[in-house]
Amino acid sequence: MRAVHKRYLREFIPAMSAYVLLVLLYGVLIRRTEAMPWRVVLAVLPLLPIVMVIRAIVRVIRDQDELERRIDLEAIAIAAMSTGFGYFSFGFLLNADIGLKFAAADVAIWVMPCLFGSFGVAKLLVARRYRSHE
Amino acid sequence: MNNQVRELRGEQGWSQADLAERLDVSRQTINAIETGKYDPSLPLAFKIASLFGRPIESIFDPGSST
Repeated sequence: MRAVHKRYLREFIPAMSAYVLLVLLYGVLIRRTEAMPWRVVLAVLPLLPIVMVIRAIVRVIRDQDELERRIDLEAIAIAAMSTGFGYFSFGFLLNADIGLKFAAADVAIWVMPCLFGSFGVAKLLVARRYRSHE
Repeated sequence: MNNQVRELRGEQGWSQADLAERLDVSRQTINAIETGKYDPSLPLAFKIASLFGRPIESIFDPGSST
């Protein structure tokens, strides 16, 4: 593994671990917290380590080599557009009154997994274009 | 764009990983350049030329494609 990717893991893993811990903390405390300001704090607190996650992602994209950067940027573009417009169309389907019933929170919580999942698939497909088995 | 990177690397007895380390890029990038699936940027092409001690136009041939 190249140094730039080792640094990425050193920065990404602690930040994402802090995010997961704060999400778990939200899950435990939100049921016991009545005061509105504290409920808001608990809900948005996980965003703090996300600043460090964004920093780690931006730094690895900026510092990896030019082909790696091209593959990641193409994959991010595909993932962002397919998730964004996919959700937009899903919204139309929900409004079309065709029997689909989902709670707003259930829909919102799947945005990030859809984005990461489509990025992973897109990256595999884009990277194939530059791969050779010679 | 054709290039002589594979031949020059072979003359030095380097693996793709060796060359990648010397150029501070991934092995995947070296492989893509050698097979003509990716044309390097001008700075990387100059870096490759400098490493092999040759003029850039003797390594990369922009006139033909693979």
